[in-house]
Amino acid sequence: MDVMIKAIDVNKEYRRAGAIIRALADVNLEIKSGEFVIIQGPTGCGKSTLLNVLSGLDIPDSGKIIFDGENIARATEDRLARLRRMKIGFVFQDFNLIRTLTALENVESVLWPTVLRTSEIEDRAIAALRDVNLLERKDHFPVQMSGGEKQKCGLARAIIHRPRVILADEPTGNLDPESEKEIMDLLKEINKDSETTVIVVTHREKLTSYGDKIVKMKDGKIQSVK
Amino acid sequence: MRKGILIILREKRTFMIFTVIYSLLIFLTSLFLEFAFSGQFGDLALYLVLIFMFASLILSLLYAWLLVSRNKRNWATFKCIGYTNGNVITMLAGIILFTAFLGFFVVVEILFHYAAIFSYVFPDNVAANNTLISLLPTVLTSVTFMLVQLISIALIYRKTLKIRPIVALKKVEA
Repeated sequence: MDVMIKAIDVNKEYRRAGAIIRALADVNLEIKSGEFVIIQGPTGCGKSTLLNVLSGLDIPDSGKIIFDGENIARATEDRLARLRRMKIGFVFQDFNLIRTLTALENVESVLWPTVLRTSEIEDRAIAALRDVNLLERKDHFPVQMSGGEKQKCGLARAIIHRPRVILADEPTGNLDPESEKEIMDLLKEINKDSETTVIVVTHREKLTSYGDKIVKMKDGKIQSVK
Repeated sequence: MRKGILIILREKRTFMIFTVIYSLLIFLTSLFLEFAFSGQFGDLALYLVLIFMFASLILSLLYAWLLVSRNKRNWATFKCIGYTNGNVITMLAGIILFTAFLGFFVVVEILFHYAAIFSYVFPDNVAANNTLISLLPTVLTSVTFMLVQLISIALIYRKTLKIRPIVALKKVEA
């Protein structure tokens, strides 16, 4: 398998209330194409920061992030935005759906800035909603959906552009156990069917059973990779 | 730009309030510009035109500020899913220009109806000047209003650049 993302000697510090917090300390990590990776650790251990730097949402203080062969640690904002649009799908803990758009429009919104025709964007959005078993709710607004349905919509939005990597930050953090299982099963299915690399950040120990690779973090450092 | 319009059309309250305010301001500015052209009310007409123009500038800036600040998380989410600053600014510019254009359209519609009702009620005076405000002040006012919107767009350009996509990942407090 090809290397999809490689973090080399990555460091990241934050200044909070005058104190310096070392969020990432000499992190080295290699994620291969098609892997299902779980980054697990207690709150504040730096796992979300790692996800942010891996996706180009945050810039490391030092070190390199090689994403699909390209060092993104010093890329411009517009370059990173295009990279995210083409290669990364995001799943958020709080769903981050636009409340004034229907489920279908929320999913379509990823492709609005592209040159694709409206009919093709709609076809793709419908296919993505079908993949996550949410097609019957396509005309519903977020406020009319349950937490699990909102997250499925978020998942459809993350896969509509057929990304190479899906990054999920605590994707089941706001869900009941039944919806949690459904979302994790869907992520696993997407990972297997399309060989999309999936990286899930979670503090829940029990979700580690879904991963091919388990990265355990503590105090900004990687404790173990299994 | 079309999608920005779709989003603001669903934000019914903000959109309606600002469309009505813009319509009112365009109407009053055009009316007093008409008076200024015809020499009625002396310098007062001109002063009022300037006051209304200044009010439109302030309101446009407020509208632009509200659009960006109140929906910061949405714009950050758009950036997170791959929108460039240019994409976000285009959406916002579409919203701002559309609202101002709709204000102009409402005023023109009101003036048409006024002329139509006037002609209907006083059919003998149709040949006389039955327009409340003539075309030139209305168009001049609308063009000025559109230019004022460009200042708002410049403001949102700066504000949009400052929105970091990472804001979308911040947890919402329960």
